[in-house]
Amino acid sequence: MSNRLQGFDTMATISATDVDQAFWINFWISIILFLSVIGPMVYFAWKYRADKVKDEDISDVTHNTVLEILWTLIPTSMLMVLFYFGYSSMKVIRTMPAESESIVVHVEGSKWKWRYEYPANANGYVHKLGGAYTKPVIDKNGKVIKEGTMGKSALYVPAGTNIILKMTAPVGDVLHSFFIPAFRMKEDVVPGRTTKQWFNTDKVGEYDVECAEYCGTDHSYMYSRLVVMPKDKYEAWFNSKEDTPKGNYLTSGDAVLQRHGCKSCHAITTDKVLVGPSLKTRRLTSEQVLNVINHGQDKLGYAMGAMPAGMATGADAKAIAAYVASGMKGNQPASFAACSSCHGADGKGQSGTAPSLVSYDATLLSHVLKHGKEGMIGTMPKFPYVSEEEASAIAEYLQSIK
Amino acid sequence: MSKTYFDETHCAIGHPKSTFMQWMLTIDHKRIGLMYAAVMFTFFFVAVSMGFLMRLELFAPGQQFIDGHTFNQTFTLHGVIMIFIFIVPGIPAIFGNSVMPLMIGAKDVSFPRLNWANFWLYVAGCIVALSSLWGPNGFADTGWTFYAPYSLTTNTTVLPLLIAAFMLGMSSILTGLNFIVTIHRLRAPGMTFFKMPLFVWGIYATGWIQLLATPVVGITLILAIMEKYFGIGIFDPAKGGDPVLFEHLFWIYSHPAVYLMILPAFGVMSEIIPTFSRKEIFGYRTVALSSASIAGIGYLVWGHHLFTSGMADIAKTVFSFLTFFVAIPTGIKFYDWVATMYGAKIVLSTPMLWALGTMITFVIGGLTGVTITMIGVDIHLQDTYYTVAHFHYAMLGGVVFLMFAGMHYWFPLLTGKMYNEKHAKIAFYLNFVGFNMLWFPMFIAGYLGMPRRYFDYLPEFQIYHQISFFGAVIFITGLIYMFVVLYKGWRHGEPSGTNPWHATTLEWHLQSSPPPLENHTKVPYVDFNPYEYKHGEPVVKFDYDTMKRID
Repeated sequence: MSNRLQGFDTMATISATDVDQAFWINFWISIILFLSVIGPMVYFAWKYRADKVKDEDISDVTHNTVLEILWTLIPTSMLMVLFYFGYSSMKVIRTMPAESESIVVHVEGSKWKWRYEYPANANGYVHKLGGAYTKPVIDKNGKVIKEGTMGKSALYVPAGTNIILKMTAPVGDVLHSFFIPAFRMKEDVVPGRTTKQWFNTDKVGEYDVECAEYCGTDHSYMYSRLVVMPKDKYEAWFNSKEDTPKGNYLTSGDAVLQRHGCKSCHAITTDKVLVGPSLKTRRLTSEQVLNVINHGQDKLGYAMGAMPAGMATGADAKAIAAYVASGMKGNQPASFAACSSCHGADGKGQSGTAPSLVSYDATLLSHVLKHGKEGMIGTMPKFPYVSEEEASAIAEYLQSIK
Repeated sequence: MSKTYFDETHCAIGHPKSTFMQWMLTIDHKRIGLMYAAVMFTFFFVAVSMGFLMRLELFAPGQQFIDGHTFNQTFTLHGVIMIFIFIVPGIPAIFGNSVMPLMIGAKDVSFPRLNWANFWLYVAGCIVALSSLWGPNGFADTGWTFYAPYSLTTNTTVLPLLIAAFMLGMSSILTGLNFIVTIHRLRAPGMTFFKMPLFVWGIYATGWIQLLATPVVGITLILAIMEKYFGIGIFDPAKGGDPVLFEHLFWIYSHPAVYLMILPAFGVMSEIIPTFSRKEIFGYRTVALSSASIAGIGYLVWGHHLFTSGMADIAKTVFSFLTFFVAIPTGIKFYDWVATMYGAKIVLSTPMLWALGTMITFVIGGLTGVTITMIGVDIHLQDTYYTVAHFHYAMLGGVVFLMFAGMHYWFPLLTGKMYNEKHAKIAFYLNFVGFNMLWFPMFIAGYLGMPRRYFDYLPEFQIYHQISFFGAVIFITGLIYMFVVLYKGWRHGEPSGTNPWHATTLEWHLQSSPPPLENHTKVPYVDFNPYEYKHGEPVVKFDYDTMKRID
């Protein structure tokens, strides 16, 4: 069963990647240490079991200086490695960026709600958000009639920005702890003190917040949610007087692309090839985008894969062949329009989508036009966790920027 | 047939005729040990039921059987009983009392009347703790840690619990004092510190922790009472105090208390491994001194409970670094035990099975402790189910499992009877499988972000809670099975003879089993090491009338 805790697997912050790295280093060292004790134990228990050993064969060894030094020093050095990674991952979480380069949000935890207070915006308006988690409604038999929701108390922040949380609890309240599992970070919220945490994430999305320090009856319901929005959407909301951001700030195609990390491989608004091809192509239909998202790149019709057969036929094909073969000098035949959408108006190709035709000779070209051609670009992996609605949103968006 | 300690006893006051009063007033260390065991296991099962009630509620998300408030009271009761009434006094009170004087050739502890008073102080503490159940606003819902300011602001009945914890702590301090004096003053002639059995080393190291660390928690609890009921501001910022101070003071005791629990348990392991390997223990001195160094380092590491409390980063770094040094002597002990098994003749009787099973569970408990010693990782795992699983592996899978191992090991010594080995082994396997199934899934749930002390949870964690639940059913079945096997053994078991395990230490060199009232007939002269074997048999033999060596 996968973890549905919002955003847990996204590795959205450096603290998350660092802590996870430290955790897994610890995991493997622990396995080694575990086996170094339990392996011999099980082996000896089997090898020297009572009915296989004669009394006079029992060894009387009680010391072995070399071994004793080894099993002191080797585990000690492993532990020091672990100390280092524990320390370094702590450093990442605890080294606060300068407040001048960050957005400072004041967080107040009290029984049993989280409240957020933002700095004043351009109009001098101060956003104060938050509140209690809406508990699930349960009937007498323990059946959940209505799921609990966290939306009301969300903390909205822009992507790619340092966020410092200055946290406290009102005097007279109790301890709480602001825990964002997805970012692998928590810090207690102490009445009468101010504690701090910070993060910076590029991954647009929603992340669950839990209270991790026992605080009484509704401790189990002291949830909140962190919403990371595209910067412009955040700015628009922040400078307004709206309580919460309106509109599809998380379900718009742009936000979805960012949330799923599409943007780290694909350029959206330019032709630049990052890891994958630019998505700014004019030849993609919604169905094709859907297809790639659902099944991975699998030599689609043309873009990002192979060029299909039959793009142009007969006289058109010949005219194109002649024109391209000549080094694309002279008048461009009208039929070239079929090519330019992928290969560019000048035929010099569109990075990541289709190669430059300048160097193609006529024979090759007509062959390609007739039989198509396998793409040069490697296979795009599947993104099965992008939902259908989200995929449609991406496709529509790509259509819209044509 | 000579008289045993069941037949006659010394009493604190007078010479009562009735058997009942003889037990109530007894100052014999063996009887007191048994009475501690009776009280503790009664409470143990109360706390186990609380644990099961929580598992039942957590079987599915949402509220089924108990509401959030009741759940909080349930885990408080579970924690208070398990920690203050069961595990902390645990092995020292039961086996430190009943076995330790026998191991050093003493006739009793140094202060038998104090021992008797301690037992009753302990019982009184238990009663005061439970009285809180009928308090005006219901049982406390603070958790066993009583963190301020929650414990200071809650309406529930906290006062009796704080007083009870203070009384139990007092009993613990005086027991530790009694043992330290006993070990210093009443060792048989010739028995130097490095000729003591390793269990005695464990009890000795523990005695010092009880004596030096427990007063801190006593003071802390008094401060909490003064604050809550007399309005003196110490921990509550509303009165000018600081809640983090409470955490520091609390863990200055409660972390050494963890070693207070585990050191005597390690001592039990150090008795069982050589006995059932029919071989002298590997690295006696390192095992003994590692106990002492764990006790020493244990005072300096409490801050690792506060990695997310708002404590300074430099303090976190120092505490993390020091904590790693607890793992080193602990690791050395384990390598020594495994090395003892090399070239041995390993008899897989029930106590040995428990000991080997504990090696597995405790190594997991210990190594997952190393995980949360890493500051950055702890920032994620603090107060999640990972921590819950870790300390149950260390405390239950370490201390309590070794207590059970000791129970099976010294059962013939204290009762003179033998339980049914076959059924006792079945009980072990049930416990071992149930235990792992109950707590291992929590490591995963905790890593994935399941916070502790939640009575309701997000649906993605359900699978782990369900596996845990079925583990709990198997585990509790195993526990009941085990106690039934032991009870039947006591009532109907075969006479065991004085040394059924071919053990070497002094408690097995008695003229009768169960032992007579004043233990050995004469105080033996100890000019031998505790675990001397030759060809699988104890080297040292005694004439039990004169306690002179006859080998």
